[in-house]
Amino acid sequence: MYEIWLMLNIVWEILLTAWTLVLVLLLLFVGLSLAAVLRRGANWRAAWPVALAGAALVGVASFLLLPSLTRSSLGELKFWVDWLALAGVAGGFALLAAALLLPLTAFLKRQGI
Amino acid sequence: MKQRPVVGKSPATGRPRTGSADLQRRRWLRAFGAAPLAAGIAAQPAQAAMKTNARIVIAGSGLGGIAVASRLMKQLDGASVTIIDVRQKHYYPPGFTLVATGVWPVDKVVDPTADFIPAGVKWIPEMVAEFDPAANAVVTSGGQSIAYDYLVVATGLQLDYAQIEGMDVAAIGRNGLANVYAGPDAAVASWTALDAFRQTGGQALMTLPAGPLKCAGAPLKMTFMVADRLQQAGTLANSRIDFHTGLPTDTVFGVKVVNDNVLARWKALGIHNHCLSKLVAVDPGARKATFASPEGERQTLAYDFLHVVPPMRAPDVVKKSDLAWKQGGFAPGGWLEVDRATLQHRRYKNVFGIGDINGTPRGKTAATVKKSAPLVAHNLTQLIVGREPDARFDGYTSCPLIVREGSAMLIEFDYDGKLTPSLPMIDPLQESYLAWLMKVRMLKPAYVSVLKGRV
Repeated sequence: MYEIWLMLNIVWEILLTAWTLVLVLLLLFVGLSLAAVLRRGANWRAAWPVALAGAALVGVASFLLLPSLTRSSLGELKFWVDWLALAGVAGGFALLAAALLLPLTAFLKRQGI
Repeated sequence: MKQRPVVGKSPATGRPRTGSADLQRRRWLRAFGAAPLAAGIAAQPAQAAMKTNARIVIAGSGLGGIAVASRLMKQLDGASVTIIDVRQKHYYPPGFTLVATGVWPVDKVVDPTADFIPAGVKWIPEMVAEFDPAANAVVTSGGQSIAYDYLVVATGLQLDYAQIEGMDVAAIGRNGLANVYAGPDAAVASWTALDAFRQTGGQALMTLPAGPLKCAGAPLKMTFMVADRLQQAGTLANSRIDFHTGLPTDTVFGVKVVNDNVLARWKALGIHNHCLSKLVAVDPGARKATFASPEGERQTLAYDFLHVVPPMRAPDVVKKSDLAWKQGGFAPGGWLEVDRATLQHRRYKNVFGIGDINGTPRGKTAATVKKSAPLVAHNLTQLIVGREPDARFDGYTSCPLIVREGSAMLIEFDYDGKLTPSLPMIDPLQESYLAWLMKVRMLKPAYVSVLKGRV
């Protein structure tokens, strides 16, 4: 339990160090979601495949690039927890991408167009 | 005794104004930081603050002092908490090895102290010049006598360069002289020296004194990173790395399984270990270092790169006070005489110690403070309500031991040198990208959470 609480605090502090970026992404998400919800004919069903594909792309790219961006390399992943941790972080970026791509694509792909 | 108010303190917060250009930005960040985490995750059990008018003085504004202050401000209602420390800059010492090896820029390890002083805490920007535990008072460098009901000693330790003849901290960075402990500037200068050394390679001398040491893993990390930087530059083959330690035969670390693992890795890297060989003198201009055996036999060696690790002891203000150990193994260093389990002073029961100053086995690390700050705050609170301190410290500490750029081992252990991994399924001796990631990306945020009294 303590480790979970510690991890939440670590994530919180990391977000604080990049709070302007977090704020921009949050506003972007809210703006896109509102725009998609309020737009007549927003095609959510068609948006899912695009959002998932985009998220997968971001996830894979994150998985491959994160080690070198943190001054390490994929070759240093020699322990199963390394793979798990990297997959978790990459999954977080993928989720973020999906959260932005879904309303954006729904907004752009109007039903019947 | 009447206390002098802090000069230029904010009437709103009670903290000194810094007047810096980025103060507003930092206040915004503080506001965010002080806000609770989102409701879904802010699941810490709410506890009613205990009413008291106790006067609590904390000597030192390092991690230990501020972490205890943050917790006391949450646990106590009406207490007067005063931090005494002149330092305007708060350092993040666990990052010094990263700065000294070119991994981090220096700005990651320096923050204004004012950013972390908890709201409601009075900060006196002076040093404690004298402890008078019999009179329950401290005297500051400005001559104020400040009475207390409870005292937390968090002064940190003293790097005793005077024990190394010819050592000049100002010379770090020139002529291959490096030292990771002296502070951020020394860390930057050490990287300058290492960066120049790796271009050509040559003779590297790494050192480790006997006796209690702040972050005892740092000299080992520096050694691993020197080897790695040479390897990256292609100059390891024409270099030689010798590690001189004042410790007994085949000992470079206090936990045997870790020690043996490190020595095996060094053997594979061609690093030569010399035990019972203590650095006693250095001639930076001539690039010569002198080592002595316990029998007094001296040996002077030429070097191209020298990493100096000075002996460490308690600051004079503690060492010369009645708070220091008077006998036993911790007496020569003047360390604070605390009970190793409760961290309460053994003779002055209203005094507690936290961090590097404690005369306890091992554990002069930020991880130790992380684990012991809640305990000190709890035990002190128990004492205020007339109960015996009941929380007991097991000596937990940890060391993300960097083995090269991109990989580390996350070693956690207790007073007895028993490995105590937080996640039992993870092998502490397995080199790992995750341990590296924690070191370079996650431990500073964890440290800040400790400062804020959250973890």
